[in-house]
Formats: sequence, C-alpha cells, structure tokens
Amino acid sequence: MTKELTLFSFALKNLSRKKLRTGILIIAISLLVCSLVFAMSFVKRVNASIKLTSERLGADILIVPAGSRGSAENILLENQVKSFYMDMSVIDKLKTIEGIAALTPQTYLITMPSLCCGVPEAMVIAFNQDTDFIITPWLDKKLKAGLKKGEAVVGSDSALNLDLGLVDVDSVLFGSTFKIVGVLGKTGTGLDNAIFISDDNMPHIIESGRVNIKPGQISIVFAKVKKGYDPYKISRNIEDSILEVDTVARKDIGKSIVNALSDINKIFYITVILASILSIFLVWAIFSAIANERAREVGIMRAIGAKESHVLTLFFIEVVVVGAIGSLLGIIFGNAMYFTLSKSFSIIKHLSAELNAVERSIITISGFLIGTSVCIVGALLPVQRLKKLEPLIVIKGES
Amino acid sequence: MSLIELRNVTKSYAIDNAVIDAVSNVSIEIAKGQFVSIVGHSGSGKTTLLSILGGIVKPTSGGVLFDGQDIYAFTSDELSEYRSKKIGFMFQFASLLPVLTAKENIMLPVLFRFNGSDGSGVSEEKALELLEMVGLGDKINAYPSQLSGGQQRRIAIARAFMNNPEVILADEPTGDLDEETEAEMMNFFKRMNNEKNITFIMVTHNTDLAMQTGRRLRMSNGVISEL
Repeated sequence: MTKELTLFSFALKNLSRKKLRTGILIIAISLLVCSLVFAMSFVKRVNASIKLTSERLGADILIVPAGSRGSAENILLENQVKSFYMDMSVIDKLKTIEGIAALTPQTYLITMPSLCCGVPEAMVIAFNQDTDFIITPWLDKKLKAGLKKGEAVVGSDSALNLDLGLVDVDSVLFGSTFKIVGVLGKTGTGLDNAIFISDDNMPHIIESGRVNIKPGQISIVFAKVKKGYDPYKISRNIEDSILEVDTVARKDIGKSIVNALSDINKIFYITVILASILSIFLVWAIFSAIANERAREVGIMRAIGAKESHVLTLFFIEVVVVGAIGSLLGIIFGNAMYFTLSKSFSIIKHLSAELNAVERSIITISGFLIGTSVCIVGALLPVQRLKKLEPLIVIKGES
Repeated sequence: MSLIELRNVTKSYAIDNAVIDAVSNVSIEIAKGQFVSIVGHSGSGKTTLLSILGGIVKPTSGGVLFDGQDIYAFTSDELSEYRSKKIGFMFQFASLLPVLTAKENIMLPVLFRFNGSDGSGVSEEKALELLEMVGLGDKINAYPSQLSGGQQRRIAIARAFMNNPEVILADEPTGDLDEETEAEMMNFFKRMNNEKNITFIMVTHNTDLAMQTGRRLRMSNGVISEL
C-alpha cells in the first residue's frame, strides 16, 4: 500500500526540498514567538499579581509611616522582608476621619536566624485578632477560636519554605517557642510567605530585646471605608490630617511598580513588533525566492488542470506548516526561557501569583496565532503573484 | 460537428513598440478522433496555437469552441476544469515536478481533478498501467533526478493520459527520445487514437512523424495552412 498523494503531502515534500531554508524560516518564527511568549508571561504575571493582591487584601486603604509606601508594597506584592514602624496613636487619629468603617493594625517583624529565631529569615506579622479583617478570612475553620499566646500560623508558601508541611511543629521565634498550629489558605499575595502571630505576644517579644521595636509601635493600619465613600478622597483626607503617615488606596496598590514597568513593557512590545516586521520581511523574501524558483512548476500545474485555489492551498499549507511548527517551538522555548530566566528578574522572583491556566492558554494561543499570521502575511504577496501567473509564459521560461 | 473550432483567432504580443501576431486570423475545425500534426519553423506560432487550444493563453481576438462552447467565456475555474477533464498536455521540455516520484507525477492531474484521490484506487492502478505502457513499470518510485531525459519525457507522456482526456495537445512530444523509443511512443499515440478515439494535435519538426498523422497543417508567421 503506497501513500496517497494529497495537497498536504505534496506541500510537505516541497518544504523538505530545501531543508536549510525551511529550517531558517522555522527558527525565525520560533524566535519571534519565543520573545512574545516570554514578554507576555512577564508582563501578565506582574499585572496578575498586583490585581490579585489588590482584590484579596480586603482593605480599601493602607496607612503606613510616611515614606514607607514602597516598603509596604514590597511586602504585599513581592514577599520582601522589611520593617517600618509608627506610633499606635495613629489609630485614634484615624478613627476621627469621616467615612472609615473599620481599622486593623499589623506589626511587621523580621526573624534573624542567628539572633532570634530557629527559622530562616522571614516576615512575622503580628495582627490584632479583635479587629482583624485581613488574616481571619484565610484562617482554617478549626482555628476560629483564634490564636492563643505562643501560637502561630504560617502562610501557605511559608509552610513549604520552612519545611513544615504539617501543623503542630514548634519553632523558636524571638527567644520563645511558638507552636505552629495551622497553615493559612493560599491568598496569592505576599502574606503567603509570612508567619502570623497574635499581637498579644508583642510585649513579650519586645521584652526579649531581639527586635528593634518600641512598645506601642505598629507597622501598618488597614482601613475599610463606609459604603458610598470614595477611598481616594478619604486617603487624601488622612494624609492632610495626619502628617506622619502615607496612604495607598486599594486600586493604587502596585501603581509605582506598574509605572516603573510600563517602560519595560513598551520596550518588550516594540521589540516584538520590530521582530514581527523583520520576520514578515524574511518570510516575504524567502517566499519570493520560492515563487521565482517554482513559477514554472506552477505553470505546469495550472496547464494540467490546477485551479488558482489549488495553487493557493498548496502554498498556504506550506506557510501554515512552517508557521505552526515555528510557533509551537517558540511557545516551548518561550516558556522554558520564562521559567529559567524569570529567576534572574527580581520583580518576578518575589511575586506570589503564578499565571493561571486561562492566562497561560491566552499566551499560548496568542503566540501561535501571531507566529502563524506573520508567516501568512509575509507569504501573501509572493503567493498571490504566483496564482496569477500566465501558464504559457512561465512554461516557456519567459517570466 | 467538429470537436474543436477556431474562429479568426489572433494572438498579438507587444514587443518594444511593435505589435507582432504570433497567431494570425486562424480558422480551423478539428473533428473528434482526428490525428493532426502541425509543422513549421521555430517561432512560427505553433506552441502559441497549441496553448490557445489548451485554454492557457487567451487569444487577442477570435473564439475557440470546444463542443460548441467558447472556452474563453469560461471562468478561471471552469477553464481549469476544461484543461483537467478534456485536455492532456505534453510539453516540449521535461515537465515533471522534482519533488514527486514518477507515479506521483502521473497521478498529479487526478489530484487537481478530484481534489485528491478519486477514492476508488482506480487512479493508482491506471498510473501503474500507464507507466507499464511507456515502458517504465520499474520506475514507479523514482524521482525525476534519477531518470534520464528520455525517461522523464515518457513519464510526462503517460501523465497526459491520466484523466482520460478527449484531446491530447503534444508539443514536440518525442524531442528527447531516441529513434526506437520515438517510434514506440508514436505507435502508442496511434493506438490510443484508434482504440480510444482520442483526438491528437501534435506540433513537430519531424516530417516523418507528421507523415504518419491523418491530417497535416503548416504554421508560418502565425498563419495556418493545410499541407
């Protein structure tokens, strides 16, 4: 039984005729798609992480010590370990601001393995269980009774980092043994990498002298605004009334990162656009050469009964096969590059949110469509020219 | 009623500032089953006339009727179908596609006629039968680069019969062949003409070949005349 001749098998045979040229085309398309997939993954992950943190935080406004706005974002978005403090009296001042519905403070402490703690450097967050609306929603149901003194829960990623995995493990924090009694549900924010304790423990920790914090100090206050009030307006009111604080409205979380990244995004996309144009020219040049070489063959095909659509289909299959193989390779290389090189980009390295299946699919489909489309656009003119050739002229070699 | 009729066909080309008639006011009728040869010097317009008959060059003026239908009133697709179903072409040079084997080259007209195989397996059988008929049954899977010029020519001859055409348009079909093979091919043509009533219109320089045909025409400066 022999293989049947079809336009598809005919097209594959044509492609295999000049292996080097076909290979160069495939590599060019794969490089384009590779850079596109890498750039889109990078940008999408940063944006996704910021959006997720903003959505899941549960607060409308963050109030931090003046000048610490960036540090707060570093903790929430990038899991960075930082500390900053302000006086607890800020809470009383905040209560006087109109439109605020709820307030809860948190205190950020840093574990130092050699000085205080039996765990690697990590963020310890002391929160107020009576007022909290940030951590509690993510606590396991069985902890509804709350954390007792000397108990701690860890963020989902922190559990892995600390090699806990299971609950009921004791850890030494600031000279005291804490019982790790639970793992927080995954929030997709910087909170996933922290250790959480009740602020009832703070006096004892301060007494230990192993942290650089004074009694009555807190790091951050989260505020919810009443229905119908504009968080931006309240934010401005707070900054105008309380000079020692800065505020970040929920929708502005990550704004500084987004602003800083916007130029990088532009560079990424300009590079991809230029690479696309370059690829279109490359495909055009190669298919123009192919069209010239095969004009006589097309003339023969037309003379023995090929329709214009047959010629178009034959070349279209060749173009799509090259585009599809190049795109698939580009998607594989792009993802490999993203997972490998992203460790070198500090902003990505610290982000909690991973791209979900839908975002990955969008990037993959976009890469495939763009790679294949670039091939089709590049080959369009030469193939159109071939389709319109007068058979006799090319058969007699007069073209 | 004639199978093919040319009515005052002229084909002109503009070369530099001059207009040259490659075919000038040609009117002929060819009946079904005729074996016609056209002789003439190089550049006399023979190939152009054959291409006009085959629907691959549109005349500047005049009409070409096949079974009473003006083929140049057809759409591009209809004209392709006409070439595919009614006509078998033999070109004056080796016209095989280099990426296809001998058998695939022969089956190419079927691909265009049926958008693939006819599905019955008959096409493949016929391709093998034609390969046997032109004496190349052992070259089924050979590529053109593995065949001599004469062998390639015979494959192209076999291809012309693949779609059971009503008319064979042959442009110097035996040009690359040695005398013995040329005689074999000519006998093959005559057999197909007699047995299957296929109409042959053959351009040739070879007067011996022309003498073997039932009707002889001469082209000179684009003008046709009976010999």
